[in-house]
Amino acid sequence: MAVRQEEFVLNMGPQHPSTHGVFRIVLTLDGETVVKADPVPGYLHRGIEKLAEARTYTQVIPYTDRLDYLASMLMNWGYVQAVEKLMGIEVPLRAEYIRVIVGELARIASHLVATGAMASDLGGLTGFLYTFRDREEILDLFEMVCGSRLTASYMRIGGVAKDLPEGFVPKAKEFLKKFTLSLAEYNGLITGNEIFQRRTKNVGILSAEKAVDMSLSGPVLRASGVGHDLRKVRPYSIYPQFEFEVPLRTNGDCFDRYYLRVLEMAESVKIIEQALASLPEGPVMAKIPRIIKPPAGEVYTEIESSKGIMGVYIVSDGSPKPYRVHFRRPSFINLGYLAEMVRGWKVADVVAILGSLDIVLGEVDC
Amino acid sequence: MFGKGLLKGMKITMVRFFKPKETVQYPEVRLPLPDRFLGKPEFYYDKCIACNQCVAACPNNVITLKTETVEKKKIVTQYYFDQQYCLFCGLCAEACPKDALKFTKDFELTQYKRQDIKLKFVNPEQVAKKKAEVLQAALEKQAAQEKQAAQEKQASADKQIASEKQAAGNEAAAGVC
Repeated sequence: MAVRQEEFVLNMGPQHPSTHGVFRIVLTLDGETVVKADPVPGYLHRGIEKLAEARTYTQVIPYTDRLDYLASMLMNWGYVQAVEKLMGIEVPLRAEYIRVIVGELARIASHLVATGAMASDLGGLTGFLYTFRDREEILDLFEMVCGSRLTASYMRIGGVAKDLPEGFVPKAKEFLKKFTLSLAEYNGLITGNEIFQRRTKNVGILSAEKAVDMSLSGPVLRASGVGHDLRKVRPYSIYPQFEFEVPLRTNGDCFDRYYLRVLEMAESVKIIEQALASLPEGPVMAKIPRIIKPPAGEVYTEIESSKGIMGVYIVSDGSPKPYRVHFRRPSFINLGYLAEMVRGWKVADVVAILGSLDIVLGEVDC
Repeated sequence: MFGKGLLKGMKITMVRFFKPKETVQYPEVRLPLPDRFLGKPEFYYDKCIACNQCVAACPNNVITLKTETVEKKKIVTQYYFDQQYCLFCGLCAEACPKDALKFTKDFELTQYKRQDIKLKFVNPEQVAKKKAEVLQAALEKQAAQEKQAAQEKQASADKQIASEKQAAGNEAAAGVC
């Protein structure tokens, strides 16, 4: 009797812990090898872009928190920067410093989730607990600044909502001192782990050409050897004042994408240390009209979020509500190459590849 | 050597094992919350001037405010805060010019019944008291005005008499000259 052989369809998600949210991939398998992958996003779609059309410019800010909820400060920043450019508002220097401080803290928090989740996806729950222990301290700092841990809504058009509270600067400095030691811990626990290395090295290789072709950005792009970081390439805010490097890795495999984030966290620490040392006094809000009514026109601005290039496109018709808002969400665009990337790899590698891309479904589905 | 990295990782966890715990036993032990914490909202009826700015600031139409005009003064008769739709962004408290709306540190917002989620801040006694106060104030104001008017009238009458007297005196003096 002949053995009947056929392809097997496996639904991964939408409620799979390793998809980092409600994301579904329909995998067609030949044995354990992926023949075809069909990503199905959209389970967390709330229509934020459409909701924004019925809100005033300030009222959109809490909704941007819900894009990439792991780095809501950066999402706020991307949006308010676009409105400021549209209205031609000059942000006070202290506000810019505060934005850099909280923005880089958010980047560290986001990378900590990516690092820890990558470890736990591959079976090492210990690493996850260690990164979340330190992320908690960043969230405590955010809570001090704006009253919320995740959905910050801290930035306003023309500055930030409130000045830094008393005790923030010493607490942040203390955290940074501890965090440098923690990074060594992650390297010992996760990076140096042979099992982790075997699961990730030379898995899901992404070539530099393909990454550029697919307009991928952020750590995913830089791990393939393309040194493209908006903070250096097209500097915004006050980033030119700080000394930092853009870490690069050249293999473009899962391990490089993971390790690049660890290296980036160390760079973010450097930026925050410099910003805290030279924090100027002054107002935290520019003088803005009571009702925000940008002139008719359109604007597109970008920032380097923790996942890649976060772009905001606003069309204004001169009324107090935006005519159209569009967000270029880096997770969504980075996800565009997933189907191609996982083809030919085993089911277990799909988890590693998806974890190394570091997607957040709030941002993917928007 | 294969396994060296594993041992290094185990050493880290072993060192960690003998350090104090990071977590706390939640319901009994609670971590301190910062002053800016956005928990359950609180409304101060007496401070509110019914300007409707919180209603306009809310991105999600959480707040409903009903007013009544008594003696040309707006009085808040109802203030609903539909907490289930709240984003806890704090824009309403930021918009309030009188600090009548504040977010407390209470974060345990679970309720047994759905209708309890919607917060009703104003009770009828408060409204009745406020109305009485406004009426009283209006009456007092009116009385004061009447009194003042009467006084002014008296004063002007006195003044007139005085000026007439003076005029008469002046005329007399002129006659003497």
